[in-house]
Amino acid sequence: MALIADPDEDLVRRVGQGDPAAIQSMVARKLPRMLALARRMLGDAAEAEDVAQEAMLRAWRQAPRWTPGKARFDTWLHRVTLNLCYDRLRRRREIATDSPPDRPDEGSAPDRGLLAADVGMRVEAALARLPDRQREAIVLCHYQELTNIEAAALMEVSVEALESLLSRGRRALRLALADMRSDAEGA
Amino acid sequence: MTAERFIALVSAYGADARRWPESERTAAQAYMAAEPRAARAALAEADAVDALLRASPTPQVSPALRDRVIASAAEAGLKARKHGRLWLDRLVLVLGAGWAAAACAGVAAGVIMTGHLTADAQADAVLYQASLQGVDDTEVLG
Repeated sequence: MALIADPDEDLVRRVGQGDPAAIQSMVARKLPRMLALARRMLGDAAEAEDVAQEAMLRAWRQAPRWTPGKARFDTWLHRVTLNLCYDRLRRRREIATDSPPDRPDEGSAPDRGLLAADVGMRVEAALARLPDRQREAIVLCHYQELTNIEAAALMEVSVEALESLLSRGRRALRLALADMRSDAEGA
Repeated sequence: MTAERFIALVSAYGADARRWPESERTAAQAYMAAEPRAARAALAEADAVDALLRASPTPQVSPALRDRVIASAAEAGLKARKHGRLWLDRLVLVLGAGWAAAACAGVAAGVIMTGHLTADAQADAVLYQASLQGVDDTEVLG
């Protein structure tokens, strides 16, 4: 099996040796990415912080026994974070009642232009209402900037299936936010 | 690349060519050059969705979260092995062994020298008692 080149290999090795500078570098490099992933998958700031913290804790435990060449550390960390997110999403569904969604789409404000923050919040809310797999595909490809092959492997689907999820997700967003497209373009 | 595939591509990955799969990027750009009108319509639609996605704020890491995560590294058992002090520790070990060896050598030398001095003193005593009458060697030497 061909060895996989990993830009994090040296950093992971030094983290595994307990090098304080490497630990700080790893936090600077990975924590914002894992927080963003969790935030967009869960749509909740506090839960996203918990997930990102737990994912990084698992990274610390994994680093001393990490075997280079088998997988990219970043991909592994995405897998860990996604699993933690899906655990929470599953728990939410199990306790879901008739309560209304956390952040209902209030629609546009016709009497005033939307501020950039309003646009951002509405996009975030629309993302949160997408089916989980469509949201995951968009978050991995668009926000986390993984390649289609990496994202498909993480999601355990073919590239064709990934493209279908992406297209359907983007179409749903376009329809949900049709009233504010000009605002977003100007934001 | 066919028109159908180009539309499928931008519908999935958006209007930014940098996000397109590397294996198809060149062909898609060639299609854009060959069919600019058809390409433009598909790109405009995709670009509008890209603009919406860009509007979503990027979550910021709070200093408190950062500190908690750094602290959790120690909790997970990651501790610096003090590589910077390793050479110093070895130096102390070597110097310590040297001092111990020097101390042993000093003790040995002292014992030998004391033996010589004692022998000299005994020889002097024997010569002295030989000059005296009625004193046995054993009284001097013990």
